[in-house]
Amino acid sequence: MSTRVKVMAALVLAGAALGAGVLVTRGDATRDGAQLSNHGGPSIAIRGLRSKLAPIKTGNVLAVRHGRALYRLTLGNGAPCFGVGQATDIGSPGSVICPRGGFPSGGDPLLDFSVYEGTRHDLRELALFRIEGFAADGVAAVEFFRPNGDVALTVPVSGNVYSATSVPKGPITGLAAVDRQGKRLWRSP
Amino acid sequence: MNRIVFFVLACACVAAVVALARPASASAGWCWPSCSGYGYLGPSTSTNTGCWFSSGEVCSYYNTWFNVGMAKTCYPGCDWNYNTTGVVLYGFENHDRIRGRFTSKASFTVYAQPGELGMSGMLRAQVTWYGGPASQVNAGAIG
Repeated sequence: MSTRVKVMAALVLAGAALGAGVLVTRGDATRDGAQLSNHGGPSIAIRGLRSKLAPIKTGNVLAVRHGRALYRLTLGNGAPCFGVGQATDIGSPGSVICPRGGFPSGGDPLLDFSVYEGTRHDLRELALFRIEGFAADGVAAVEFFRPNGDVALTVPVSGNVYSATSVPKGPITGLAAVDRQGKRLWRSP
Repeated sequence: MNRIVFFVLACACVAAVVALARPASASAGWCWPSCSGYGYLGPSTSTNTGCWFSSGEVCSYYNTWFNVGMAKTCYPGCDWNYNTTGVVLYGFENHDRIRGRFTSKASFTVYAQPGELGMSGMLRAQVTWYGGPASQVNAGAIG
């Protein structure tokens, strides 16, 4: 094999590897097949993040629920991020998460953006303030647990997102993704 | 001619020093442990600055922050999905409450603005150890 052919073969292999890497980290499909079928609306300009480390210029609104917009975002290098923000200010997410390795995956079907609140200094017990997040295909609902393991609330997933306006009082210590049959697919912690 | 060149070079040096000494942004900022490094946030970590929790928390001074950001490494180890066993809460606090989002996943970046947590006014940005081993994080807030 001539040097020229070897170089060409190496370039083709490198290109294929790069392409595969981009495909599996775009956020709609990961290495184990988990995905988000909801690709959202048209690409829109993203503004107001003031972040040099995570330069995000474009994104897609996956859904608007309860006055909140849920976004799939893309870093300048193509890596996936997700964000949420006020639906009255589309294009300006107030919170962003750029997970290493992308999202979703079979072992990580939820990206929770829920907000927790504590009012005691002596106890690390936190209650829910707001519920919202993203879920992979196949996740039908998200369960939130009490410290004793009881289910405090079950929030349905629709279009790969979940959101709830009212939250139960009292401490929450974990959450789980369940399928249509109620089978727990994943739990944290 | 040499004097002119020397004068121009001197002016350029002064301008460079002034530019480098000036903050990159006019906005206030807070970083932990520094603006370019990672620190270990565990149950005994504290900035000793009157944070909501006396230990297991790092927090900024009070300010009208624009957002809080954090990056978390795989320390002490990640699974295939970049999950660690160290759980942290990042967000804001004031005299009445602490609010934030949980993460145990290694992330390039996470950001939250105070309004996202239903908070406003003078706040402390915070990152709190919540469970598991220490996490290796770099936290910051801009005002």
